[in-house]
Amino acid sequence: MKETKLLTEGIHEPGLHTLEVYEGRGGYRSARKALFDMTQEEVLEQLEASGLRGRGGAGFAMGKKASFMPEGSMEKYLCCNADESEPGTFKDRLLMQKNPHLLIEGIIIGAIAADAQRAFIFIRGEYELQAKILDAAVTEAYDKGYVGQGIFGSDRMLELVVHRGQGAYICGEETGLLDGLEGNRGNPRLKPPFPANQGLYQGPTLINNVETLCNTPMIIEKGGEWFASMGIDESTGTKMVSVSGNVQRPGNYEIELGTPAREIVYGLAGGPLEGRTVKCWFPGGSSAPILLDEHLDLPYTFEAMAEAGSMLGSGAIIVVDDTQPIVPLALRLAEFYRHESCGKCVPCREGTNWTVKMLERLDEGEGTPMDLSILSDVQENIMGNCLCVLGDSMAMPIGAMIKHFREEFVQHMEEARHRRNLTEVAYGAGELAGSAEAGAA
Amino acid sequence: MARPEIDEVTFEIDGREVTAPEGAMLVEAAKRGDVEIPYFCYERKLGPPVGACRMCLVEIEGIPKLQTSCSTPVKDGMVVVTTSDRVKEAQSAIVEFLLINHPLDCPVCDKGGECPLQDISYGWGGGKSRFIEPKRHFRKPLELSPLVAIDRERCILCYRCVRFSQEIAEDYQLVFLERADHTYVGTHDGRPYVGPFSGNIIELCPVGALTSTAYRFRARPWDVEGSGSICTFCPSQCNVQFTIRDDEKVLRVLARENPEVDDGWLCDKGRFGYQSFHSPERLRAPMVREAGALREVSWERALSEAASALERGGARTAALAGGATSNEEGFLLQHLMREGLGSPHMDSRAAGGLDSEQARVLSRPELSARTGDIEYAGAVLVVEADPVDDAPIIDLRVRKAARRNGTQVVTLSSRPGGLDANTGAKVRFSPGAVEAALVALAAELGSPRASEEAPGDSGSPEEEGTEGGLAARAMEAVATMAEKVGVRAFGGGPPAGGLDSAALAERAGADLEAIRAAAEVIRDAGDIVVLWGERVSHGERGSQAIDALLAVAGALGVAEREESGLIEIPAGTNSRGLREVGVLPGLGPGLEDAPESGMGAAQIARALGGGELSTLLLMHVDPLESHPERPAWAQALAGAGDVIAFSEFLSPGLEEHATVVFPAETGAEKEGTMTHPDGRLQRVRQAVGHSGGGRAEWSVLSELCARVGAGLELPTAATVTAGLTGAVAFYGGAALEEIGGRGVRWQDRGAAARLPAAEIPSGPLEAPPERPEGLTLGTAATLWSGEVTRHAPSLRFLAPVQRAELSPSDAERIGVSSGDEVEVSAGGERVRASVALRQAIRPGSVFLLAGTDEENATALTNGAPRTVEVTKV
Repeated sequence: MKETKLLTEGIHEPGLHTLEVYEGRGGYRSARKALFDMTQEEVLEQLEASGLRGRGGAGFAMGKKASFMPEGSMEKYLCCNADESEPGTFKDRLLMQKNPHLLIEGIIIGAIAADAQRAFIFIRGEYELQAKILDAAVTEAYDKGYVGQGIFGSDRMLELVVHRGQGAYICGEETGLLDGLEGNRGNPRLKPPFPANQGLYQGPTLINNVETLCNTPMIIEKGGEWFASMGIDESTGTKMVSVSGNVQRPGNYEIELGTPAREIVYGLAGGPLEGRTVKCWFPGGSSAPILLDEHLDLPYTFEAMAEAGSMLGSGAIIVVDDTQPIVPLALRLAEFYRHESCGKCVPCREGTNWTVKMLERLDEGEGTPMDLSILSDVQENIMGNCLCVLGDSMAMPIGAMIKHFREEFVQHMEEARHRRNLTEVAYGAGELAGSAEAGAA
Repeated sequence: MARPEIDEVTFEIDGREVTAPEGAMLVEAAKRGDVEIPYFCYERKLGPPVGACRMCLVEIEGIPKLQTSCSTPVKDGMVVVTTSDRVKEAQSAIVEFLLINHPLDCPVCDKGGECPLQDISYGWGGGKSRFIEPKRHFRKPLELSPLVAIDRERCILCYRCVRFSQEIAEDYQLVFLERADHTYVGTHDGRPYVGPFSGNIIELCPVGALTSTAYRFRARPWDVEGSGSICTFCPSQCNVQFTIRDDEKVLRVLARENPEVDDGWLCDKGRFGYQSFHSPERLRAPMVREAGALREVSWERALSEAASALERGGARTAALAGGATSNEEGFLLQHLMREGLGSPHMDSRAAGGLDSEQARVLSRPELSARTGDIEYAGAVLVVEADPVDDAPIIDLRVRKAARRNGTQVVTLSSRPGGLDANTGAKVRFSPGAVEAALVALAAELGSPRASEEAPGDSGSPEEEGTEGGLAARAMEAVATMAEKVGVRAFGGGPPAGGLDSAALAERAGADLEAIRAAAEVIRDAGDIVVLWGERVSHGERGSQAIDALLAVAGALGVAEREESGLIEIPAGTNSRGLREVGVLPGLGPGLEDAPESGMGAAQIARALGGGELSTLLLMHVDPLESHPERPAWAQALAGAGDVIAFSEFLSPGLEEHATVVFPAETGAEKEGTMTHPDGRLQRVRQAVGHSGGGRAEWSVLSELCARVGAGLELPTAATVTAGLTGAVAFYGGAALEEIGGRGVRWQDRGAAARLPAAEIPSGPLEAPPERPEGLTLGTAATLWSGEVTRHAPSLRFLAPVQRAELSPSDAERIGVSSGDEVEVSAGGERVRASVALRQAIRPGSVFLLAGTDEENATALTNGAPRTVEVTKV
């Protein structure tokens, strides 16, 4: 099994992060081409023809999204979502650290497509090194006149600002990102209006992930059809996959979409340690409902993952082998989402917190099989009822875990109870409420 | 933008066909079909929805996910289901989520019994919880401010209070702190949430998280009843509902939403000031001076003493009416004076007369705007007023207009105000130079009245008029001139008294560029509402200032535009009504010229001091606190033979000088009407009985009329109202039934045509005088000055302390800094104050507060621009 290196081709070349080396490899040709040889419509056409889907998680067709931007002379914006906060995802980090100018070029092309005059890179606070590299690259681009007033000597303006987030997961949600960028508390906004209509500072805003934008220079260079010839169905091109968890060779791999997942997990990442098997895996970051070993034979595409009841998401595969107990995993996951819930809408705020409290109790052997039903009910009640997708991001994988591993949950509780010498199973809710009150007092 | 015209659309909800305004949110539209959708975070008054509580989820045909009906505008042909299993499950799930961390302490919660969370839990919840984990805990209750207690455990984080602070009051104090399930409401800096409108969050809170410290644990909802009336504390005249217990005690005041008056909000003075009604210091029985001291006496004794004092005084009696005087009382007062005593000397204005012709012009319906017009105006021009202190609810309306409809706000004032941050342009002038500032603005707007060569002495605009329709002719003149020269070309033309704009700006002490910028903003803004403070008309040149204001209004074409006009922000609650029922020296009921013209307030003071007048009748006013020229009034009261007062409290001035004092009614005891600054007749309705054997003031006045031989056959409050609405021609006999709970604007009724003819002046404006050299004194009112704050325990912490507001440059010159004690002096009088530096104050100005308990600025004011000395103590 080999990678299909397009984005990552020669990515470790020394000095690639400098404009000189990048341009020496033919960089910024696509930006010039889009600017001088193509109209905005033509750029949009190529992007649409490429079938390039958003690489951040939602998988929305980028060309289509850009075409939603209203026409007119109002101030329009492009925001690059470099928050990469989905657990398990670390592909954008590599791209930004090693090849920042590719992103800048992608932003120039995206801005042409969206007719935006100002662009922002919202990079997660923890990516300090990458932010510094980006800052240096943006400065170089400004010095060369590739961004700023009159880019490449044209009369087009494109101001580009690197903005560092403060570490909230929710700022990776596009409207939370906008609020954060505007200097407000990073809370998701109600949609509609969608950012393409009313986004940053109420202006039309195109928001794209780092990897998505990095794909645009080659689409402009080689054409949308060339890009669409890779992959299967609506999943075109290549995808960066961050493989982590119980595998022998964790890391970033670039594959053509449609490659069987087994080849990624075993072929590229080496699979679990000798003698272990895949118990379950997250196909697209921790928000994606878990899949089982049998699903590894599916082609790794947006469609196949959705059909299996999960999603390709950000392309972060997290592998869990058979030595890992499921309950602590569920708890750790729920804790993350409770911590990151912004607190704005009720089902997410209260549901994540309830889920954690129940899982803690289960983990300590104080649960009953009835609690499992409540737990899965709570996940059902969260799903689809929240303001943004954060609530669902917990409810989906937790729900899937209970569905696939119900017996293990029960067994885990039993064992914990025996370990703690809890002879009585507290079936009566009243009794537990009593002890809870005592605890609170 | 004009008030939008909204089409109706038809949609289906739960199988019913319902018609609703297009664009209305589904939660609102559903009500049209008697379908109730539960919600917590949604509140129409708060503007754009947030969709945070998720309680209002419904199913909409064609959309796979459930949608929040608070944020979904209704569309034609939409099919909505609110009762499907899917919706019910979602709603029940939200209730379950909301209650898991809610303490469910309803039996001890103030909100219990009138709590949306309770109601919705019963109506849409599952009835039981499966949550057995420990609940979230916070320290509670805490003081969010001295007026509001916060219980963070009960809070469901619905965003209402935070949105109020951020988007309505725009004080930006309340925020969410922390996140996830640790989120809580607090101020961003941890200091108390104090602001003029903070109490609204109590009413907005859909649970018992925010409670009134004044009302906490005083009653349960089933102990009380509601009684609708209006607030009588300021000219905003907000519609309120008094919460009454046992028919005798006001326990709480809630907003009674009237979009044409208050938009559903109250200020904290209106909300908590009711406590002054029950102050132990309130007068409950009449008093008469005996052996040098006031003693409580029987009503009969007080009435006979008062009647004989009035008879003694006869035509040498004068009367002052304060703003809290109702139309009925004002009407009876002027009858008592004019018919009973033959005295024309009465005034309801504190500082300076109002030209009779101008009073009629200002009342012309085409020149007056409705309060609601503010919201849709293209621009709002605020002249020498700071609504947040003078009529707080107007401030909120202007903010709403600017925030939601993009209304341009322009302020023209001597003192920096609360709206400055929202303005498209602001002009700051020297205190007392409002006339010059207005003339300069009129000139910049291309008013022909400021553009002709005018002899300095042709003052009286009436001379120019010949017959009706002059307004139209003046407008024609504007139009022709504008056509000839181009409106903008007038900017530098030859204006009033041969002064050009630069010279006028110089006389105003204002920046010419700022005046130009202001003119630029308002010139083509479309509908314009001009909010002008009564202060414009104060002082020796008040009449010329009003003339200049009318020139500005003329140049803006307010008379031609349906939704444009002027609204006065008067000094007293019912100043407009008192003017219209005839409590002015030269005007009788209905703004008709009085048969005999009398003295105004300033002359009354001098005449009492000089012995020309002997008797003074005071309705709800102590001139020592509210009138300029305090030294003159001190002399006047000392010189008066008899002082008969109607008052709620015994002020030091009354205690020293009054000979007979009748206890005045509170706003909750009174029955009658008042007139809103925009002409809306509103009912003041009695909510509680008169405490301690008190009597209605109208009946006392009526009795006095009878005793001096001018009895009226008006045996009940309602007949007095009928009497006055009959006597004021343009009120046209408006009956109480017609006025009803929402009031009625007299300009909107046919009888408005009976307003005595008055011509909009069209002659050239006078040249404004030069302004004095040196530090000029300006005064400012604060919302918190006066008896209400003093006597309502909850509000007492807000009572103002005198401060001298200075610009940093003047402070540096004088050698004082913030907090220093200084003496501000003029003409031998001095006022002590501590220095407050304000960057936005125009150098050369110093401001003192009027109406403070002690060290009142009125000691230094005399109705003219006055220079003062500021010295460090």
